[in-house]
Amino acid sequence: MAVFKRGYQRYDGPLTGPVTRFLAVPRFVWPKLLGQRFVVILLVLSLFWPLMCAGFIYVSNHADLLPSLGSGGDDGIRKMLAIDGKFFAIFMNVQSTFAILLAAIAGPGLIAPDLANNALPLYFARPLSRWTYIGARMMVLFGVLSLVTLIPGLFVFIMQASLASTAWLQANWYLGQGMVLGFLLYIVMVSLIALTCSAYVKWRVVAGALVLAFFFVLAGASQIINQVLRVEWGSLLNPGFAIYTVWCALLGVEPTDDAPGAWDCFTVLLLMLGALLAVLLRKLRPVEVVS
Amino acid sequence: MNQIWIIAKLEIRRAFFSRRALWVYLLALFPAVLFFGHGISVQYRRSEYAGKPVTPAAILDRLPVGTPDTEALATAGQPISDRKWRRRDINRRSMQYFDGSNRVWLEFENGALKSTTRRALNSFEEDSKVYAGVFQFFYLRLAIFFGCLGIFINLFRGEMIDKSLHYWFLAPVRREILLLGKYCAGLIASAVIFGGGALLSFGALLSYQSSADLQNYLQTDALYHGTWYVLSAMLGCVGYGSVFLAAGLLLRNPIIPALVMLLWESINGFLPELLQKFSVLHYLQSICPVAPPLDPNVPPLLRLILAPAAPTSTWAAILGLLALTALVLYAASRTVRRLEINYGTE
Amino acid sequence: MSDDLILFHNVSKFYGDVLGVNKVDLRIPPGITSLVGPNGSGKTTLMNLMTGLVHPGNGTISVRGVSPFAPEKLMRILGYATQYDAAPRGVTGFGFVLAGLLLHGYPRAEAERRAALAIETVALTHASSRKIAAYSKGMRQRIRLAQAIAHEPEVLVLDEPLNGLDPLVRAETIALFRDYAARGRHVILSSHVLQEVDVFSDQVILIANGMIVAEGEIRNVRDEINEHPSQFLLHCQEPSRVAALLFEQAEVLAVKIDPEGRGVLVTTRHRDAFAAAVQRIALSGIEIDGVLPMDENVDALYEYLIGGGK
Repeated sequence: MAVFKRGYQRYDGPLTGPVTRFLAVPRFVWPKLLGQRFVVILLVLSLFWPLMCAGFIYVSNHADLLPSLGSGGDDGIRKMLAIDGKFFAIFMNVQSTFAILLAAIAGPGLIAPDLANNALPLYFARPLSRWTYIGARMMVLFGVLSLVTLIPGLFVFIMQASLASTAWLQANWYLGQGMVLGFLLYIVMVSLIALTCSAYVKWRVVAGALVLAFFFVLAGASQIINQVLRVEWGSLLNPGFAIYTVWCALLGVEPTDDAPGAWDCFTVLLLMLGALLAVLLRKLRPVEVVS
Repeated sequence: MNQIWIIAKLEIRRAFFSRRALWVYLLALFPAVLFFGHGISVQYRRSEYAGKPVTPAAILDRLPVGTPDTEALATAGQPISDRKWRRRDINRRSMQYFDGSNRVWLEFENGALKSTTRRALNSFEEDSKVYAGVFQFFYLRLAIFFGCLGIFINLFRGEMIDKSLHYWFLAPVRREILLLGKYCAGLIASAVIFGGGALLSFGALLSYQSSADLQNYLQTDALYHGTWYVLSAMLGCVGYGSVFLAAGLLLRNPIIPALVMLLWESINGFLPELLQKFSVLHYLQSICPVAPPLDPNVPPLLRLILAPAAPTSTWAAILGLLALTALVLYAASRTVRRLEINYGTE
Repeated sequence: MSDDLILFHNVSKFYGDVLGVNKVDLRIPPGITSLVGPNGSGKTTLMNLMTGLVHPGNGTISVRGVSPFAPEKLMRILGYATQYDAAPRGVTGFGFVLAGLLLHGYPRAEAERRAALAIETVALTHASSRKIAAYSKGMRQRIRLAQAIAHEPEVLVLDEPLNGLDPLVRAETIALFRDYAARGRHVILSSHVLQEVDVFSDQVILIANGMIVAEGEIRNVRDEINEHPSQFLLHCQEPSRVAALLFEQAEVLAVKIDPEGRGVLVTTRHRDAFAAAVQRIALSGIEIDGVLPMDENVDALYEYLIGGGK
């Protein structure tokens, strides 16, 4: 039968719900990202530190087996082997570096090509709003960054909880909660930075450089502000410092004297996220721009 | 030579005046803006403290650790400012005095003197060390690094992304000459911007110093230091520029080599001597006229990263850097000779 | 003399696993040569190979005795208007053509004169001070052509040069090609507008799937394809009678009355014998107004060769 004779028949199969529709975007992007050699290398490298931490946790929970720590025990070493907020703060700090590198590689390709090729109207011609488009793109990064932050973090925490006594879990459940909240905030921050850079410059390559520059140059700039002006507030401009301070507060770690406090850092982070979002929304317009 | 100059002239305008160059200017001028800002605050502080009561330094020095705050008050008199607060179950108090040239803070915990902090209204020696630190840790490592990344990657990879490189390849010019012309354009633009930035920030550093300090410095090291700061900024552009130009030619995503280079340059300080020679920063640090002090608060691991490599003599460093650049440019010229136009893969 | 020819000797080019062109042997004399083939057949690859923008994996290329590996020599005698629509950022039409001429080493005043002349030739003088980014597709096409001809090259290579041109400019552009060819220069072009190529090309190169399918003057190419029967339209007043007479000829494979009533459509394998038969019919007193080959344009060859001889 000729095609035209069949007549037009509307698709009447199941439709994805409006809430989960945006997941169609990451579903296609994730396999592509995970097929990139450098992403895989980074993911593999990012496993080493959690594995080392897992080893440390094992040793820490079997300290009595070590002859030097017999029943008498050496308080200094016991203290060093303690699994506390400081331990998780260091763990998060190391893993966050991998997250930045991953964001610099995976993030720029998410929006820049759409803008460079005027593909946004194609997205917005479908039942996707600007917010769901951003949500979809952030979801891509959320998935990838979780692989180096949340998932290994939870693995480490659960391992400690299972090896330690119930009393430890009761006393330290806030560590797990703080780590999850801290990493969630971090993932949102890094994702927004990567997406905004990607939308701002349109060039994938330059966007990648901009993501790196955002973290490294701001860290450097905040240091020289402190040095030249003999102040401490310069640190607030360093997103790495700001997030670390918030983590420390969430994990109950003592902050550094004189440095800006957790609330100051949290406020600055919120302002920064707001500014990034504003730039992102401004850049994501479903129009063709002739340059 | 004529063709190199024609290519460079055509490219220079773009390197200087494109919208993207704005970020490069911001990076280059940031230290100058900071030092100017600091200069203004120093002037303001000088005029502010001119009318404050002076407590002789000898009196303040006589107060040992543990002195009760009431006794300190009785000995040193009313402070310029007196601040009290409670933190971690400790009553804290900070009293500030002025000894004529320094601000002195007496820090108390639970009513007993814990420490004395002395800070000059302005110290040229301190400022010049801060400048050295800013120059090496921010300007060379970050500003020039990322500035050159932006300028030099644009020269070939940017044209590939814009799908306009073939216009250059269709000119009656040897590819090697094209490479040199573009490199010269990037080099002139970056050297002017970052050399100018270094000069400006150095000028800003001197602008607010006391006339005695300034006179003394101008008669001794000012010209030498200023020249070498500007030269090392320019040589930074020579080295980083060649590397990023080559990276833009060799790789589709030059961010990965940029990242690797950032790490390579950071760990350079504790690499074997031979490997250190393959770093731009190694030579630049050897050329810098003042060694920056390391912040005592820097963690040991980071301290290792920031530790400068064993220095090379100035002229050897310059020659080494130029040799490294020549090597990289030679490799880039081999690549550009074989380079094909295939925009489909960009 | 190879100094007058563009030569491809056993040239192959692969993009990774993808075939660009395979074992190409060509001798292109001066004049207008059209590269004809479907999308992805290798036309642009051939042009890019000729101009050194891509390099062959195998074989050698010579453009009027110059290797594409020597751009400093080749580009003095060659101008190439590519299919890439992009222009350098922020440049005006005049600046674009001028930059090319400055790279050729012309003094500024001379370069400006030539740039103005080239822009005038493509009828873009009114827009020369505007940025190329604001040009229409046709204007971009013309400014690229202006840059290609500004230094009056011996070899003009044009990738789909007539795309997006309005009829008037198209006619002027074709006149320009003819003028170039008349001066003993090479004009190599590719096009999908086959009728236009048919009209003004001196020769044609048919390419499909990276292979040269046919090469030479359109008529010669056609003659080489002996297996393919030719079709002619005989304009006549008595089609039924002519058809009956033609059926008697051994060299005629099929005869059919033209549905549009113009005469008789004849299919034959032997052109000369068919011509003699037509002559005999005419001499017998039947009025024949004319004989028109129906498949001697590039379209027909193209369809036949690339479409599998349908």
